[in-house]
Amino acid sequence: MDVQLKRGLLDVCVLSAIKSEDSYGYKIIKDMKPYIELSESTLYTILKRLETANMLTVRTAEHGGRLRKYYHITDAGIKRIEEFKTEWQEILSIYQFVTKEGEADE
Amino acid sequence: MNKQDFLAELERALRGLPQTDIEDRLTFYSEMIDDRIEEGLSEEAAVADIGEVSEIAAQIISDTPLAKIAKERFKQKQTLKTWEIILLAVGSPIWLSLIIALVAVILSVYISLWAVIISLWAVFASVIACSAASVFGGIIIAITNKVPSGIALIGAGIFCGGLSVFIFYGCKIATKGILILTKKLAVWIKNCFIKKEVA
Repeated sequence: MDVQLKRGLLDVCVLSAIKSEDSYGYKIIKDMKPYIELSESTLYTILKRLETANMLTVRTAEHGGRLRKYYHITDAGIKRIEEFKTEWQEILSIYQFVTKEGEADE
Repeated sequence: MNKQDFLAELERALRGLPQTDIEDRLTFYSEMIDDRIEEGLSEEAAVADIGEVSEIAAQIISDTPLAKIAKERFKQKQTLKTWEIILLAVGSPIWLSLIIALVAVILSVYISLWAVIISLWAVFASVIACSAASVFGGIIIAITNKVPSGIALIGAGIFCGGLSVFIFYGCKIATKGILILTKKLAVWIKNCFIKKEVA
């Protein structure tokens, strides 16, 4: 898959994983696993990028006698997901056009 | 390998990156291992699940911009003594030219790799041009002049056309290979920066 496209998709996936409630690294990976495999280092890069873009905030909380980082989606993050949905509608209609062309060729 | 060994090894492998970056990464992986243990994995299994340190470190380094690595190296050397500054100034004709030479070498390697790609595609283009010209010229000769020579020329043109298909796939594979090579070169250059720091 195109690198740029994949990067954008992964960003939205991670945002969706923390949308309903705050989540932590390992849970994000586990939640996404049925849909897309994500390595730790990839997740780290995505989380940093989203934090820099103010799409999520990080807080450290105690959990079972140790510290764990929890990620919280911001309004900008929610907006990004909504944008993605609209964009995807456009892409879907392009896809329909492309596959229709393919049938005409045959 | 237990958690502590894993983190120590990762820290060693990342030496040369900014200290805050390293600590942040270590905290991140430490949490990842702990969460796996909490889920019921043994410490060894949790570490094994994360992956090879060398692969992780390579990924992290390739994700880190070269400018950041270079800046970090410069930062660590900021506390220069007076005599070091004098030495640097006096020695500038030597080290400056060495750096320029190094940059020039790296640049020339890149340019020559790209030159290979361009020349391969130039061959492809010329074979196609040759094919088209031969067929076209052959038709004209066959009509106006000698029929056998014309047909021979048309045949040669068609042969070139067929050849171009093979060359096209060859060029494609070679281009892909060279692109991978340039990527490897970039990682290697970054590694040079980091390895020097370790020494």
